[in-house]
Amino acid sequence: MRVHKIIFSLALLLLAAPAFALDASVLLSQVDRNLNPESYETYRKLINVEPDGKKKEFTLFSVKKGTDKVAALFLAPASEKGRSTLRLGDNMWLYIPSVGKPIRITSLQSVVGGVFNNADILSLDYAAEYDVVRLEETGNEYLLHLKAKNRNVAYDQLKMWVDKGKKLPTKIECLTAAKMLIKTIYFKDHKDFGGGIVRPAFIETDSPLYKGYKSIMIFAKIKKRSFKDEVFTLTYMANLESLR
Amino acid sequence: MRSFIRGCSLVVILLLFLPMAVFADDSYTFNVSEIEKKPYHFGGYVEFRPVLYVLDKDSANYQLQYYNQDRGSTLMEWNGRLQLEGSYEKGMSRLYVKTDTDYRYSSYLGGDERTAIFEGYGTLKPSPSWKMELGRKVLKWGKGYAWNPVNFLDRVKDPNDPDLPMEGYIMATMDYIRSFDGPLKTFSFTPVVFPVYDHINDDFGIKNRLNIAGKVYLLLYDTDLDFIYVADGSRTARMGLDFSRNVTTNLEIHGELAYIRDDRQPFLDANGIVQSKNHDVVSGLLGIRHLTAFDLTTLFEYYHNGMGYSADDMRNYFLFIRKGYQLYSTTGNTKMLTSAQTLTQGGYGRNNPMEDYFYLRLSQKEPFDILYFTPSLTVMFNLNDRSHTVTPEVLYTGITNLELRFRAGFIQGSRDTEFGEKQNDCRFEFRAGYYF
Repeated sequence: MRVHKIIFSLALLLLAAPAFALDASVLLSQVDRNLNPESYETYRKLINVEPDGKKKEFTLFSVKKGTDKVAALFLAPASEKGRSTLRLGDNMWLYIPSVGKPIRITSLQSVVGGVFNNADILSLDYAAEYDVVRLEETGNEYLLHLKAKNRNVAYDQLKMWVDKGKKLPTKIECLTAAKMLIKTIYFKDHKDFGGGIVRPAFIETDSPLYKGYKSIMIFAKIKKRSFKDEVFTLTYMANLESLR
Repeated sequence: MRSFIRGCSLVVILLLFLPMAVFADDSYTFNVSEIEKKPYHFGGYVEFRPVLYVLDKDSANYQLQYYNQDRGSTLMEWNGRLQLEGSYEKGMSRLYVKTDTDYRYSSYLGGDERTAIFEGYGTLKPSPSWKMELGRKVLKWGKGYAWNPVNFLDRVKDPNDPDLPMEGYIMATMDYIRSFDGPLKTFSFTPVVFPVYDHINDDFGIKNRLNIAGKVYLLLYDTDLDFIYVADGSRTARMGLDFSRNVTTNLEIHGELAYIRDDRQPFLDANGIVQSKNHDVVSGLLGIRHLTAFDLTTLFEYYHNGMGYSADDMRNYFLFIRKGYQLYSTTGNTKMLTSAQTLTQGGYGRNNPMEDYFYLRLSQKEPFDILYFTPSLTVMFNLNDRSHTVTPEVLYTGITNLELRFRAGFIQGSRDTEFGEKQNDCRFEFRAGYYF
């Protein structure tokens, strides 16, 4: 009898597990769609803040399509204007007008310096790069434990706190395989951008590796927009300004 | 040397009084007016660059350049540059112009100024898949950093400063782009029509030719691939291919291979007689770029110059110069030196005229957490005669739109070697550049 009970309990657990996994993956996809439409354009400002309060600012125009295509164009300051970055799957390039040709870069570099790196600036959907390993509930938030799908992803693991009602992240910790904290990203200041897009307009990040420094990303505009695939190619990088 | 230090000090003092573009307060704002797109754009770059050369009076190149002047042991040069660019966009069309004014002053040569239109072209973009351009532009083909053997249609860049902007040629180009799913993600085709007539690209090669070229680009299995062909015309036919790929997330490998048919190359034989030979040439480049977790970038390239001169060729050339200098010193006859100058312009005097080189650049971002500070070290090594240059450099970008760079170049090589016979032993350069 006891054995039957054990087998019955195990069977219930096994049946429940796939449902749990599906819900967590669905939740992650919902988070992605609540943050951004699948294809959109946006204007952002990146601000690197030093411990003494001094700042350096960069203004970007970004476009994204689907799960693996992102491009960004620098609008300011003058020394960066015209530079662009492109991400196509696992490939990433930087185009500098004075150099005149794109060069390959890595996701862990940072074209702007500061705490944000290229993976943060040219971010893809979380569901495209991470699998959900575990889902916990803490008060009015979910806690998602995410694991990178492959070694090309910038961070091996993420811990994502998600507001239960809004299905939007409030905080993400980015970790190494050894669970060392690389950086923490905070999502703040929810704003209605129109077109049904209500999301954090202010993202702040800090890192124990860069004590006293922080970087901030402010969104001014997010708009659904469809693009041809040819926009996300090396040959088109010099022409991103024409999309504005 | 004193005037160089005075000049640098003056610039640094002036910069201290520049309004600081970085400001310290807690407000983070982003106004919509900051992102408003205007149909026109105007901007530019201004640079101040003093250079101090420590001359090598016993070198063959010094004797060739300054045979009838005593330059002393140092040469101080003051350089200024102003680049202006503007564009106007309406609908699917766009006009773009970039001018360059270069000013140089030295106590020996006085002042010299040159203004040129580096680029000036019109663009039509009916869709993301199609683009047509007509005017003066730079193509920048190739994946190499210091050298680009496949860049058949641009001026040769300076490997000591590969990122410097260059004057373009007048041409018509088109880009056709297609994207796919699957291993082949991108295909693009770029045909080029390149005229060479009086006053139109007339320094490129044989005049009265309409040259045809093309490039096919593929992103195939996450590898950038280019196939290039230039038909017979102002220069002989040539073809090339290049590639670039990430081996791991922080290691990139790239390469180029160029084949030039029937290239004509002047050379000096052992008897000091100028000959020429026609031969097919193969040049190649292989390089890697690596980034460590602590932001050290290593760039290493090997370059084989199929049009290069051998160590014996260069020895003959330097011997010819020395004989010419001796002839001038004893009789005042400049005939041999004049021939040597023609040879220098014909190929012996270009950057990297010999066959095999390697290039190593180490660049460390913000060591010891010194913000906006990037020291680098560059070595260029001639594998044929073992002469080389070592160039340490520091770059500071802490003030928005301002770049400050100091570099020193040290030349090592015995007599009759490429770098050993350069007219200077070392140089010190300071560059302050401002974008607006």
